[in-house]
Amino acid sequence: MDKMHLLLALAVALFAIGLLGVIIRRNLLVMLMCMELMLNGVNVSLVAFAQQTGTTVGAVLVFLIFVVAAAEIAIAIPIVLVLVRMKHTLDMDAFTDLKG
Amino acid sequence: MIETLLRNSDTLLLYVFAASALIGAALMLVLRHPMQVAMALISTMVFLGGVYGLVGVHFIAAFQVLIYVGAVMVFMVYVIMLLDVRDASFTHRFSSLLVPGVVGVVLLLAALGYALWHAIYAPASATGSFNLQQFSVSFLNEYWLYFELTSVLLLAAVVAALAVIKGAKRTHG
Amino acid sequence: MSHLLTLIVVLPLVGFALNGLLGNRLGKRYVTVVGCGLPIIAFLITIKCFLDLSAAGGAPIIDVAYTWARFGDRTFEIAFYFDRLAAVMALIVTGVGSVIHVYSIGYMKDDASYARFFAYLNLFLFFMLSLVLGRSLLVLFVGWEGVGLASYLLIGFWFEDPVNAAAGKKAFVTNRIGDAGFLLGMFLLYWAFGTFDMDRINAAYASGAPAVVSASLAGILLFVGATGKSAQIPLHVWLPDAMAGPTPVSALIHAATMVTAGVYLVARMSGIYVHAPEASLVVAVIGVATAFFAATVAIVQTDIKKVLAYSTVSQLGFMFAALGVGAYGVAIFHVYTHAFFKACLFLGAGSVIHALSGEQDIRKMGGLARRIPITFVTFAIATAAIAGIPPLAGFFSKDEILWYAFASSRGGSPAIWAFLAATALMTAFYMFRLLWLVFLGRSRMEPEAEHHVHESPLSMTGVLVVLAALSAIGGFLALPHFLEPVLPLPAIPESQHHYETPLLVLSVAIALTGLGVAWFVYGAGIERATRLRDRMAGAYRVLYNKYFVDELYENMLGRPLTWISDRVFLRLGDRVLLDGTLNGLARLAHRTAGGFARFQTGHLNLYAFFVLIGIVGCLVWSFRHG
Repeated sequence: MDKMHLLLALAVALFAIGLLGVIIRRNLLVMLMCMELMLNGVNVSLVAFAQQTGTTVGAVLVFLIFVVAAAEIAIAIPIVLVLVRMKHTLDMDAFTDLKG
Repeated sequence: MIETLLRNSDTLLLYVFAASALIGAALMLVLRHPMQVAMALISTMVFLGGVYGLVGVHFIAAFQVLIYVGAVMVFMVYVIMLLDVRDASFTHRFSSLLVPGVVGVVLLLAALGYALWHAIYAPASATGSFNLQQFSVSFLNEYWLYFELTSVLLLAAVVAALAVIKGAKRTHG
Repeated sequence: MSHLLTLIVVLPLVGFALNGLLGNRLGKRYVTVVGCGLPIIAFLITIKCFLDLSAAGGAPIIDVAYTWARFGDRTFEIAFYFDRLAAVMALIVTGVGSVIHVYSIGYMKDDASYARFFAYLNLFLFFMLSLVLGRSLLVLFVGWEGVGLASYLLIGFWFEDPVNAAAGKKAFVTNRIGDAGFLLGMFLLYWAFGTFDMDRINAAYASGAPAVVSASLAGILLFVGATGKSAQIPLHVWLPDAMAGPTPVSALIHAATMVTAGVYLVARMSGIYVHAPEASLVVAVIGVATAFFAATVAIVQTDIKKVLAYSTVSQLGFMFAALGVGAYGVAIFHVYTHAFFKACLFLGAGSVIHALSGEQDIRKMGGLARRIPITFVTFAIATAAIAGIPPLAGFFSKDEILWYAFASSRGGSPAIWAFLAATALMTAFYMFRLLWLVFLGRSRMEPEAEHHVHESPLSMTGVLVVLAALSAIGGFLALPHFLEPVLPLPAIPESQHHYETPLLVLSVAIALTGLGVAWFVYGAGIERATRLRDRMAGAYRVLYNKYFVDELYENMLGRPLTWISDRVFLRLGDRVLLDGTLNGLARLAHRTAGGFARFQTGHLNLYAFFVLIGIVGCLVWSFRHG
């Protein structure tokens, strides 16, 4: 298959694996890392389309996603730290305060 | 044979890097220790950087490694080492949604694969790879608003992180 | 077109408004002047209209006051109609009404709600005049309902005592039952003739056009309304209870005017009844039955007002009997004489009660003749009038009724005459019984009451004298002959003519026999009567309890209705169905929400799974729908 299809297949696979990881794993940090994987999958697809059209829009968007991912992780980690300090565990089963 | 290999080395390398990235991703799902998972993710990201380079967007490849691996994953590794908690999630890796999750993702892959199979894309454009100069000119001229917004976003992130930590300190001492 | 008729009707309404709104603030004298003055002015205007009518040879005066509503080409007006019949009724209403207003000045002198009383009395007069002067059944019905309302307000005038309030309620509800029939009759007539105007409806029947709707059906339905208003069997139960109201009210409403509204209705719609032999038969039979049975009950009553109440019911039966055999003018003649002597009797009873400081039991009276002579003389004259002793007014009207009951070609028969004659005998008996027990013989009064016996003030005795005089000489006015152009008298077959004189003599004999029997039984006090009563204890019990009609109604109608209301409507309908539905819906919403809340477990893994499902679903859907 040509480059386009390969890249898109890669993007789809990365995204699906990331989503599966969020559903399957019980550790909080591992879930965070799987979310990063999903973002990477999206980046790949954007690069593929940017390559195809030839404009710079795709690249700009990828750049912006980098920034957002960094900002996101900068906030997510402190939240995780606070949660762990409260519950003393990283197990997802302990974080059911949103129940009902 | 070696000629065909050398002639198509780009494509071959592309396949290799893509496969490696996928293997790294798959490993993420099954490894037990979060540290091991982090290492798998780092390897995936590096291989993705290679993919970007082969495609032609070199500066994005550079930023991938710089930001994602150099900042985001380093931060993750620090935290994993800080919170070395051996709890239930260590022994029981998977949540109760293992089977439904796998089934769902298989369906998702089937659906997306079907869409991809029947999609026809235009041939790649002539100006395939563009350089940093072209990118920065257009970035800071046409998309300067988003540039400013990202700086605001980063500021907000810093403030938020401070607020979270300070709030936590107040309630828990 | 002059608006004098509208003026007659509206003047008492103005009196109601003035006394009702300002009476309490402006004092008794103001209330008296407005409350009595306006009806007297209305009476004078009525006399003027009557003179106009006579000058015009009896041609009816029509006064259209206001167009009420218009639907396409159908108009409903408020119009008043003045012919000979309306003239007679209006003169009775305003005349007797005015004198009773004057009587009330003295009777209600010490009552705290003086202004309210006169306001209600004027309100009643307004509605009654609307009833008798109305041209269409619609205006008549407004007056009909209105007098029912005024009656309720006045019966329950001293409403602090729940017994009085209950009596008012009973009167109103019983009237309403009759009104249902009245309304059906009205609608039937409108559907047939397209108009509510009574003169037009009568003309339509008279013109001989084939009846679209059976005259008997309309006649019976209208008569149902008359039964309620005029206290005939089976809706007579409210009249004796209505004696809970002040005595002027009993005199005005439940003797002279409101209860005669039913008689007026049938007489006014005589155009229908002439063509409805079945309806006329029903009217006659009910009238005779009511007259007879009410008289039997009156014989044994011990409350002075109750005796007079049952006497009124009985006399109304006489009037309906006359209507039933086609002698409409004669019935109106009896309304006219009855107004005089019955009002005189009631007001006289009021004077007695006033003299005895509230005592109403005739077993505790006696020997009052010397103490309150004016009341005694007027009461005696009125008693003789009602008993039918010539040449007083009651003799003329009652004799006419008996004659037509025997000989009328439209339903007269010896059987009817026999019942009415027996009733006349009982009437004479119980009225003279009343006279003896209250005024003559030895005193059986309570010593405390006896000490305070005094004659009533002039405002009361003056009225008594006027009414007694009218009872004496009123009969010489040949009213049936005067009304004949409007209410034709039925023909007497040739074969019956020679019975006239014997029946006349028989009437006088009956009256004197009643007097004699009463003298015999009660002349020496109540001992003989008490012995008679003890010997016929069973019959006495039935009569004293008015044939247990009230108890019958309570058990047959009251209890089942209450049971249905409680079991079916309250428990089943309201609690189970309505509340149950509402609560059930609320519980359903609660449970549904609870069911949905089970999706919110708090586990992020599950939420991510839902995201996955959503994505897959959207993708699949987008494939199917392009």
